[in-house]
Amino acid sequence: MFQVLPQPIEDILRVLEYWDHILAGFLTTMELYGGALVMGFFLGLLLALLRQYGGIILSRIATGYIEIIRGTPLLAQLFFIYFLPYSMNSILEAQGLSPIPIGKWNIQTDIIILDRIITYTIFDHRMLVGLLTLGLNSAAYQAEYIRGAIKSVGTGQLLAAQSLGMSRLAAIRHVVLPQALRRVIPAWSNEAAYLPKYTVVVFFIGVVDLFGEAHFIVANTFRTLTTYVFIALIFLALITIVSKALDFIHKRTSIPGV
Amino acid sequence: MIRIVDGWKSYGDLQVLKGVSFEVGEQEVKVIFGPSGSGKSTLLRCINMLDPLDKGEVYLHEQNLIAPGVNPNMMRARIGMVFQHFNLFAHLKAIDNVSIGLRRVKKLPKEEARAKALEMLGRVKMAKWADHYPAQLSGGQQQRVGIARALSMKPDVILFDEPTSALDPELIGEVLQVMLDIAKSGTTMIVVTHEMGFAKAVASEMLFLDNGIIVERGTPQHFFVSPKSERVKHFLKQLDILYGSHKELLKRSNEEESK
Repeated sequence: MFQVLPQPIEDILRVLEYWDHILAGFLTTMELYGGALVMGFFLGLLLALLRQYGGIILSRIATGYIEIIRGTPLLAQLFFIYFLPYSMNSILEAQGLSPIPIGKWNIQTDIIILDRIITYTIFDHRMLVGLLTLGLNSAAYQAEYIRGAIKSVGTGQLLAAQSLGMSRLAAIRHVVLPQALRRVIPAWSNEAAYLPKYTVVVFFIGVVDLFGEAHFIVANTFRTLTTYVFIALIFLALITIVSKALDFIHKRTSIPGV
Repeated sequence: MIRIVDGWKSYGDLQVLKGVSFEVGEQEVKVIFGPSGSGKSTLLRCINMLDPLDKGEVYLHEQNLIAPGVNPNMMRARIGMVFQHFNLFAHLKAIDNVSIGLRRVKKLPKEEARAKALEMLGRVKMAKWADHYPAQLSGGQQQRVGIARALSMKPDVILFDEPTSALDPELIGEVLQVMLDIAKSGTTMIVVTHEMGFAKAVASEMLFLDNGIIVERGTPQHFFVSPKSERVKHFLKQLDILYGSHKELLKRSNEEESK
């Protein structure tokens, strides 16, 4: 008698009323994603080079870092980095030193679109922890992709460059890396596709990203399924665009004849 | 001009070079040959210090390359190398493969490096392929670009590490022709090869390397007419089967049949 009929259009409209929240969450997710991907790339490149060419000591350090990061849960890493400054503060205070002003870093901005004011946190200590964790984590995975590509270039190229009188560093820079970075794109696109979904762990330290905003919307509208499917579609769209873009870059940079 | 004195090299337990000494004079062409695993390639890599000797010295114009304080990169720029598998830089066009040394090592401006590289490609008859990538070239063409790349640095000596043994038989000729031209223009060369025709034409001396030592040395005439050691005789016979008139092979198969 009192059967509730599904009303999809109404549900979607109800969720879309919170477009300002969705937008703010999307920006936060993109900031974490972009920041971590870029940080992970440069650190990963460094780790890959150290592991491949760093000699006994440096290559072991790089290997150790990669294995520790890949072997422990991302969430554990997140909590470790999040709580580290707090426990350091208690030590600092016990020694009479001034503590790290954790909560003081906070940059916010108000974005006004139509009738809504979106208070967007560009940066605070939670964002920093999120960025650091995701970046440091992604670096370990990216390092292995890049190292695989470097290895596939082969030593012959390096020898040939050195035989012309190039230093090892110059040979790596001008001969090995231009080829390795072209080759790494298909494998690396894996990381570019994984990372957006990993960013949702920041929910646990109170960063309100796309997923955090979804919880907020659900709490206000009780449209559970609609909200999460909508959020999932945003991820799907984002990752599809990224992966198409990488395909395009891979084709554009491919070496003729290879 | 280039001199290697009592060179020793091992990889782990494997002793590859056991006291190799020889000298190459200005504008001289030395041919090194011998069975695989005899240390020929290792010897070349030791000369340009891509793989430094364990013991012994290498002198270029009386300068000890292994002495402390010598920058091996600077020295390598004066010793060209041509590889068995060409090792062209896959991401660069033929012209850029040749000019990269001029640009990155000799620090020449772009235009000047390009002009010189084009001239070098002309010397190996590859000028019209300047804008092709290595993967778009045949093996013989790639190796000619490899030779142009080595030539571009105007090295004192060029080392050739079996430059034709990865090539289809049809393509060997064009590479040997280029090497012949270079040899005749007065380039100092150390060539590891089994191309006896080439050796006959330009080698001033041939070295037979086996098991890390120079077993026999002499002019091409000496090797083809009256080699002394049994090892060399046997090896040349094998080469004859490979490149010769197949008389030996026919004789053997007839013998097998008659049994």
